[in-house]
Amino acid sequence: MKIDLANPAWQQTLPPARSLATDAPVAACAFNRDGTTVAFALGDGQVRLLPADIKTPPPEAAAPLHKGVVLSLVGDPTSDGFVSGGDDGRVLRIAADGTATELLAQKGKWIEHLVAHKTGAVAASAGKAMFLFRDGEVREFGPHPSTVAGLDFSKDGSRVACAHYGGITVWSLSKDVALPPRRFAWQGSHVALRWSTDGKFIATGTQENDIHVWRVAQATDMRMQGYPAKVKSLSWTADARFLYTSSQPVFTAWPFSGKGPEGKPPLQFGDEGAGLMTVVAAHPVEGFVAGGYDSGELQLGDIRTRRSVVLKMADGAAITCLAWSPDGFKLAVGNDRGDLLTVDLRR
Amino acid sequence: MATSQTSAQVPVTVLTGYLGAGKTTLLNRILSEQHGKKYAVIVNEFGELGVDNDLVVNADEEVFEMNNGCICCTVRGDLIRIIEGLMKRKDKFDGILVETTGLADPGPVAQTFFTDDDVKARTRLDAIVTVIDAKHFFGQLEQGSEAEQQVAFADVILLNKTDLVSAEELRKVEDRIRGINRYARIFHTQKSQVELDAILDKGAFDLGRILEFEPDFLHSGHDHHHEDEVRSLSITADRPVDPDRFQKWMGALLQIKGGDIFRSKGILAIDGAPRRYVYQGVHMMMDSAWGTPWKEGETRSSKLVFIGRNLDGDNLQRGFEECLK
Repeated sequence: MKIDLANPAWQQTLPPARSLATDAPVAACAFNRDGTTVAFALGDGQVRLLPADIKTPPPEAAAPLHKGVVLSLVGDPTSDGFVSGGDDGRVLRIAADGTATELLAQKGKWIEHLVAHKTGAVAASAGKAMFLFRDGEVREFGPHPSTVAGLDFSKDGSRVACAHYGGITVWSLSKDVALPPRRFAWQGSHVALRWSTDGKFIATGTQENDIHVWRVAQATDMRMQGYPAKVKSLSWTADARFLYTSSQPVFTAWPFSGKGPEGKPPLQFGDEGAGLMTVVAAHPVEGFVAGGYDSGELQLGDIRTRRSVVLKMADGAAITCLAWSPDGFKLAVGNDRGDLLTVDLRR
Repeated sequence: MATSQTSAQVPVTVLTGYLGAGKTTLLNRILSEQHGKKYAVIVNEFGELGVDNDLVVNADEEVFEMNNGCICCTVRGDLIRIIEGLMKRKDKFDGILVETTGLADPGPVAQTFFTDDDVKARTRLDAIVTVIDAKHFFGQLEQGSEAEQQVAFADVILLNKTDLVSAEELRKVEDRIRGINRYARIFHTQKSQVELDAILDKGAFDLGRILEFEPDFLHSGHDHHHEDEVRSLSITADRPVDPDRFQKWMGALLQIKGGDIFRSKGILAIDGAPRRYVYQGVHMMMDSAWGTPWKEGETRSSKLVFIGRNLDGDNLQRGFEECLK
């Protein structure tokens, strides 16, 4: 990917983008498996499917698929469509043409978190339970000590970790060998979770504005403090050398290569003054990272050069979600005002 | 730290009360009456409400201890999540009603609004409304500390089912309520019938409206009670307050007695300050701000109010006097 942030073009002008205004806050966004379609989960029940190519005219809005808010959304690992979850308690598989089939209905529960794995599995949180969708089957795991507030697959897709009050629980998904779940305890409420891209670490954000990280094999743990707000967005780099965290004015990356981050400060770079970072998303291939702010500003950083450029100016609408296309050339962005932004980095 | 109030903050009314006191009846009324307003309702028992409304959210009360070394600092984790989720809706609403279970301690709900920054940014705690079954109140006091706590935390009390008791019984119940919490407003009701503006949008936690809300606020004094009973008392002073000494004293007091102090509030005449200093707290959590300016020639008196258990009025009075110039 030939993006050189030192190039004056990046410093002086914004990259090409398509912005579509709606009137419902955006809760989540995602690209499909082959990167041809981008989807946005909205606060009025709609899942808007748009061509990833920003020059192709977007289709008219379709009828809402969920009753209420679409809270979660991922690309479907088994098709060119998506999987969505709502506060109506339903998980839907959405085909590329927009037609939906119901995978789960849990009346009274909210489907707040969805994750997908390239082996074809999808996991959803529904209250205190975790549901796994794989090979046409639905399996329930739990109950956990409290509502599941974050979940993620292991690198190979054989396990799922769930965050809750008092720590995290790691479930082995094998149907052949029934292993008991592993509980990693840490006091307090864990509100976000990401498993490292090399499978070795699990990171959570806590109610007390800390980061907690466990070494999965050794079951040892570490805590990083000093954030002014809850860290609800965590993102591991593709090479697992860094963990990016939101809730700082600049890009903040904890080093996990070598001996790990203990006793070291995080790497920080980027332009201050845009507010507090609400969402961070490491590039799927290279050393880039995207950060969205509560002011609406969007920055692209490069950890190799510690440079950053502005991709979108502040406009007062907090950025709520970011997603990279699988090839890392496009970036989907949603905010709390309802703007659906797709940025094309091939300028 | 000022809690500045903006119109963007959605008011939240907490509805407590023992099992069977009439909370669900009240909620059903609020949801079905034509008042032109839209409320999101967070309930514990789905299906109990007769009204079909997609803004009714089912919650399991998830009381979380904050991992910050403060024993009595508990919050409602479910509430934090649900408020965040409700704010993602396209359709906005005028307020949120939170119904607690009959045996709930109102502390964690209230503390959530002092503790969580996201909740504070989007909502403001408006008032705690407690529904009381006039017929069964004394029996419920015997069964544990919950009924007493629910009265202690209340800004507004609906003394309900008054048709099921005699005038004499009603007077006794009301006296007992006043003994616990003399600062709440009491409404006598049957079948939870009350004007909605008596319970909604009260601004009871609004620092700018502390004086406005307290009918007895300028009436000082404390009576003798059994030590372990929950009661309310106030302390006044006409000499100016030394801010450093007050902060030290109040900090130490809440550190030691925070678990026993359910609600506290106060207006202080700080030495040399042109404005009132107002604060309000739940257990160890506290918000404060500069209030309205003192008028020319106005008596600059300070007043503190405590509602709690094991309150030693003389000791509190002495402690406060040592903070005066």
